[in-house]
Amino acid sequence: MAAPLVLVILVAVTVRAVLYRSSLAAFISERVEVASPLNAWKRVVEGLALLDLGVSPYSGAIFHETPLIIYLFHFLIEYAELVFMITDVLTAIALYLAIQDFNKVVFKKQKLLIELDKYAPDVAELIRTPMEMHYIPLKVALFYLLNPYTVMSCVAKSTCTINNTVIAFFILATIKGSAFLSAVFLALATYQSLYPLTLFAPALLYLLQRQFIPVKLKSKSFWLYTMQYAALYLCSLVVIICLSFFLLNSWDFIPSVYGFILSVPDLTPNIGLFWYFFAEMFEHFSLFFVCVFQINVFFYTIPLAVKLKEHPVFFMFVQIAIISIFKSYPTVGDIALYMAFLPVWSHLYRFLRNIFILSCVLIVCSLLFPVLWHLWIYAGSANSNFYYAITLTFNIGQILLISDYFYAFLRREYYLTHGLYLTRQDGTEAMLVLK
Amino acid sequence: MPDIFSLFQDQAEQFFKSGHTNNWAVLVCTSRFWFNYRHVANTLSVYRSVKRLGIPDSHIVLMLADDMACNPRNPKPATVFSHKNMELNVYGDDVEVDYRSYEVTVENFLRVLTGRIPPGTPRSKRLLSDDRSNILIYMTGHGGNGFLKFQDSEEITNVELADAFEQMWQKRRYNELLFIIDTCQGASMYERFYSPNIMALASSQVGEDSLSHQPDLGIGVHLMDRYTFYVLEFLEEIHPASQTNMNDLFQVCPKSLCVSTPGHRTDLFQRDPQNVLITDFFGSVRKVEITAETISLDPNLAAFESKPPKDELAAEPLKYAEQLPVAQIIHQKPKQKDWHPPGGFILGLWALIIMVFFKTYGIKHMKHIF
Repeated sequence: MAAPLVLVILVAVTVRAVLYRSSLAAFISERVEVASPLNAWKRVVEGLALLDLGVSPYSGAIFHETPLIIYLFHFLIEYAELVFMITDVLTAIALYLAIQDFNKVVFKKQKLLIELDKYAPDVAELIRTPMEMHYIPLKVALFYLLNPYTVMSCVAKSTCTINNTVIAFFILATIKGSAFLSAVFLALATYQSLYPLTLFAPALLYLLQRQFIPVKLKSKSFWLYTMQYAALYLCSLVVIICLSFFLLNSWDFIPSVYGFILSVPDLTPNIGLFWYFFAEMFEHFSLFFVCVFQINVFFYTIPLAVKLKEHPVFFMFVQIAIISIFKSYPTVGDIALYMAFLPVWSHLYRFLRNIFILSCVLIVCSLLFPVLWHLWIYAGSANSNFYYAITLTFNIGQILLISDYFYAFLRREYYLTHGLYLTRQDGTEAMLVLK
Repeated sequence: MPDIFSLFQDQAEQFFKSGHTNNWAVLVCTSRFWFNYRHVANTLSVYRSVKRLGIPDSHIVLMLADDMACNPRNPKPATVFSHKNMELNVYGDDVEVDYRSYEVTVENFLRVLTGRIPPGTPRSKRLLSDDRSNILIYMTGHGGNGFLKFQDSEEITNVELADAFEQMWQKRRYNELLFIIDTCQGASMYERFYSPNIMALASSQVGEDSLSHQPDLGIGVHLMDRYTFYVLEFLEEIHPASQTNMNDLFQVCPKSLCVSTPGHRTDLFQRDPQNVLITDFFGSVRKVEITAETISLDPNLAAFESKPPKDELAAEPLKYAEQLPVAQIIHQKPKQKDWHPPGGFILGLWALIIMVFFKTYGIKHMKHIF
């Protein structure tokens, strides 16, 4: 399996290299869908230039990257293109290895459940075989590397690719079962952008599963492990933040990075939902609605944890998708990360109900983004409502995609335990409804 | 004896011929907007010639809308060309516009002429002429029968202009006045003059239009008007010592070249145009006669011997010390102090990374590395 992966990587690197050298690179890096105030490359360069002039980059409202990024790019700024290509490749390799391991785990669990007779007799067609699962890791790497969203994000040199790499390493560490590394990478991911904090729950659930500790609120071992993991995570987070203090000898980065993410002062249009609302809102409501919007991101963790506690990796997928839809400055790079996971759930295809219309919605909206931007900003014959409409439609498409997959996953689980051909009490065919 | 006397008298008369001791110029371009490029180029070309022939900026009142050089439609910013193929940039670095943009109004023009200017006005905006001044007034723009349009919003009529000149005469603000106008139906503007010592030239008669000369395809507008173009060609041949007279100026633009018929008016002028030098109005020619002999003005002091002139030491040319190296200051880039992350940070970060590495993979791998 190494050879096809290497081939895919080579193709991806070639595509990116070609795009870097073409005139599209400048055009793509200007697009608001790809570069947000948090992760635009222009701002990184500006921050480093300010630093060379002896001014703290956090003193204005232009630079919102963490000090570790400053450190990374201080030495690597001439090789920026190489750095971004390498991070993309690393993400793909991490996802590949993670999904390989995950498939083994899934298969082992499936075997266990079959032997324990937990499955209904007529679900033979739903059982997954190693044959069909063989190419999934490669497909995941392919989906990530050749996704137009990823390519655009890489060509625009948006630091979203670095965030994706950290999250991918976190997923790899979690699936390999190393609590320490998983806590470290989760701390790094949270340090980079605040929202991966919600991935604490799925990672914890997965590690508990791996340690065969049942998730019961009264169980002592559950709380012990949770405390250990939380302690590891919080300690690494504190250590990283304190270390960042020593880079510039100031705590300036905390309001500039985390304050910026949470309070959303910059209302540049992007593919998210925040900008339009806050552009139209009166001042005295904005605090309330900022809180509402931010809670919305973190809120789904607990219900999903309750429902999906047996399937933490799916939970992780749904959580990453929710982060990339509801975060304050989303870009297409965030979307690319969760879309890379779709081949893992390809066995759910027969249960997906809206996949055709959703794929059309997503593709058409992606194509309409630049069109309506041009009409709004350059031609002047549209206004922000048009662009916001496309943003809304795009996000609705994504939400429907996630809920479709969620429904399909739960439906398959139900069928596995209750049989494929469900009948009501009077013998007629029953329909499963997601309540 | 009477011949020598009349010879001296002729010489003396020659010396004090024109009766003026200083020269002024009031150059007015009454149009604004990009498509009136040629009017600005006209005025600036006359300004250049007049400066070349000796009238200093302090004696020139230049009124322009000045929206050509920095116009967004100008493909060559900071330039105004008067020749196609962009041969001659009449804007340059040293043009001094006294009334610019919306200050070019009929009221300001009449105030300049009559001297009724508010007390705080700077010298550069005043016409500080006296009764020994020869004034050249050049106006260009869009005009009609009896009026001249100022900046698309107001007009000056020929009656107002004539009255302004009469006020100047009564206040003894000029010795002789040359009025040149390059607009459509320009001759109508000098019809009403009634003050003495005024000579007027116009580019076209009543009922005729003055036409523009040549467009430049690079800039996209017409660069000059015909009459001023040929006047300029004529003036290029004049130098401060030339003896060309006004009659030649009257012949400058025949109908074959100008399409319109230039006109002139000399009935108010006391001297014969034949005797009027071009440089009387266009230049600032000082009457200087160089003599090598010493002339004793007081006969009682003839006892003093005239000392022989000292030999001038060949001194090296003097120049100003470089007080302020402006070019250096402007182009100085801020000194780049390279920022380096502090050593403690790098140490801490790599220590952490190594700790994580060894925690994950165990110490036993160390012997494989070293």
